[in-house]
Amino acid sequence: MARQEKSLKSVMQMEKMQLNKNTKLWGAGGFRENRYVRSNCLENVDSNWVILPLTRWLQIVEKIDGEILRKTGIFAEAGEDIKPLLPFLDVVSVIALNFPKFSDGRSYSTAMQLKQTYCYRGELRAVGDVLIDQVSNMLRCGFDTLEVKHQLTQIRLKEYSKEIFPGFYQPGARLIRTSSQNRIWRSTAVR
Amino acid sequence: MYRYDEFDKAFVTARIAEFSDQINRRLVGEITEEEFMPLRLRNGVYLQLHAYMLRVAIPYGTLSSQQLRKLAYIARCYDRGYGHFTTRQNIQFNWPRLVDIPEILKELAEVEMHAIQTSGNCIRNITSDHFAGAAADEFADPRPYAEILRQWSSLHPEFSYLPRKFKIAVVGAQTDRAAIQLHDIGLWLKRNSSGKLGFTFYIGGGQGRTPMVAKLLHDFVLEEDLLSYTTAIIRIYNLYGRRDNKYKARIKILIHETGLQKLREEIEKEFAVLKASELKLHQSDIDAINTYFRAPDLTDCSEWHYNLKQLRLNDSAFGDWVNQNVTAHKHPDYAIVTISLKSTGGVPGDATSDQMDTIANLAEQYSKNELRVSYHQNLVLPHVALGDLKTIYDTLLATGLASANIGLISDVIACPGLDYCTLANARSISVAQQISTRFSSYERQMEIGAIKLNISGCINACGHHHIGNIGILGVEKKGTELYQLTLGGSAGNNCAIGEVTGRGFTADEIVDAVEVVINTYLSLRQSSEESFINTYRRIGIELFRQALYGTTRKIS
Repeated sequence: MARQEKSLKSVMQMEKMQLNKNTKLWGAGGFRENRYVRSNCLENVDSNWVILPLTRWLQIVEKIDGEILRKTGIFAEAGEDIKPLLPFLDVVSVIALNFPKFSDGRSYSTAMQLKQTYCYRGELRAVGDVLIDQVSNMLRCGFDTLEVKHQLTQIRLKEYSKEIFPGFYQPGARLIRTSSQNRIWRSTAVR
Repeated sequence: MYRYDEFDKAFVTARIAEFSDQINRRLVGEITEEEFMPLRLRNGVYLQLHAYMLRVAIPYGTLSSQQLRKLAYIARCYDRGYGHFTTRQNIQFNWPRLVDIPEILKELAEVEMHAIQTSGNCIRNITSDHFAGAAADEFADPRPYAEILRQWSSLHPEFSYLPRKFKIAVVGAQTDRAAIQLHDIGLWLKRNSSGKLGFTFYIGGGQGRTPMVAKLLHDFVLEEDLLSYTTAIIRIYNLYGRRDNKYKARIKILIHETGLQKLREEIEKEFAVLKASELKLHQSDIDAINTYFRAPDLTDCSEWHYNLKQLRLNDSAFGDWVNQNVTAHKHPDYAIVTISLKSTGGVPGDATSDQMDTIANLAEQYSKNELRVSYHQNLVLPHVALGDLKTIYDTLLATGLASANIGLISDVIACPGLDYCTLANARSISVAQQISTRFSSYERQMEIGAIKLNISGCINACGHHHIGNIGILGVEKKGTELYQLTLGGSAGNNCAIGEVTGRGFTADEIVDAVEVVINTYLSLRQSSEESFINTYRRIGIELFRQALYGTTRKIS
């Protein structure tokens, strides 16, 4: 029994290592192509679609032309101040918010601010330690896509059709209040 | 009492399915213990010294008879025949098997109970006044708001991975019976000069290794803004609270390091955009919840007063019990009964399955099916006709539950300590047992008068030692258990953190040390009317130190 457990563990360890190379992008409708490449600069990148760190993006935003800008997304660390970005939200096509550990919940609040308070309409992407048990939270906070490294999470997401909960006690993205009697918000669409 | 509707039932059922699946994935090794830990914690499952522990939520300490019977049944069938009521108005089962937990959760769901968010870095069980809806000094019932907060905080998408746990308490009476200033958010329901209901917000209270009394954040927030304002606070905390050190991660540290004024500005900015959001509570929302908390129909009967007086004269032990354990009710012909779970030599807060069944029956027959758990780890029958007090007393006496010691020295608050807990440095239960034995004489306890003695087995302070008039903290020094003594702590309207007397005492010395403190108080009080805490506040700690350590000994 103990040995079995150990071998299972080492298999999972190996799987974990392999999947690092195998990040997949998931969103409504299932897995999709990830056009973006993460980079610290626009030069020497294989793709026209690049995600730059927020500070870097802010340095070049006024220097590059609209076509390139449209294909340039932003990566923000958990807890990073997004306020300098606010004047530009209309021109940003993707913002990737990092979860350095699944237990670090700062990017949930940043997501809520971006989507709810500042009405950001572009793609909001969760990156980093994205696991199946936090998917519901991420979607409800307004994330549109998830970059998933964890292979078991990828497998589970492949089977994911809809939220297992009948609804929630708080407002959230893609949820509407269904009755004036109860403070309950239900999903607007089958994902 | 709040009752689940179809949605609530489906929600809890989905949660059980989700958690059962997580347990299965853990059992087959699909997820690591590191990944599993925060999942099990937010479902109330701890890994303790000897076994898993399950903490079941008792929302704002309110129970029905049927629910208490179910807890008794779970203790009997899945545990060792007892449960432990906690200082957060919850109950803990100390010996369940991990594989049984999905089954236990299904049993709980049958009576509209769960273990959601009884642990983990999320919004915990909302606590409240255990006399809510019954107390004579209440201006508004806090339970509907506690229920609104409970629902809103359940599986909150944004606040499920906070820097640290987050505790909210709400009261609505003149007396703060829920220690709101020792919570991350303390809410005091009030009416403003134009008659509108709203809340005074305190933030940043807490115990643990850096005890702090909460600070006044906002004098009056309208009830319609309860959720928006709370969201603003927790969002700021979630974004800026420290995550590098779990001992510095509570909101109290953020306030301490950032400054209340700066933080208030951030919160107000956030609130300004949230105020008009869907979080706003409409009068119809509040009315809908209020219908669940209508006061029970109570019959007038002035005759009971005379009969009670006679019974008290005829049976002095009953008279003592009424003096100590019975509190005034809103209705003059009714009373609130506190059932002490602090028998001489017993484990504070523990109740056997049989005792729980007896108390459930009493609540069904004599208290409109309602029960409360106090953070002092006692149980409460909130609506008792004066004419039924004697019958209740007689039943309690036969079950070993008639200790007439509420608010006296043997009404000890204690955490489970080193007998169960992985965090503990020292035993708490044995010290509590020794104290209740040493001071078992009712006459002596009455002579000492109102006092709070609290014991924690480690610095995390689950036993509230910081706010005991006498606090005992178990520490470990060079492999032995040592007990530090603090004096002058107090919860409620005059909240204060106690001061450490000096070097600690061994397990053999600690009860003697408490006795020295008590004797010092008795010799220095101005009259028997002056309570321990008032004497302490008048004379300070120095004379107590001299009595404990002698005048020449250097105090560290």
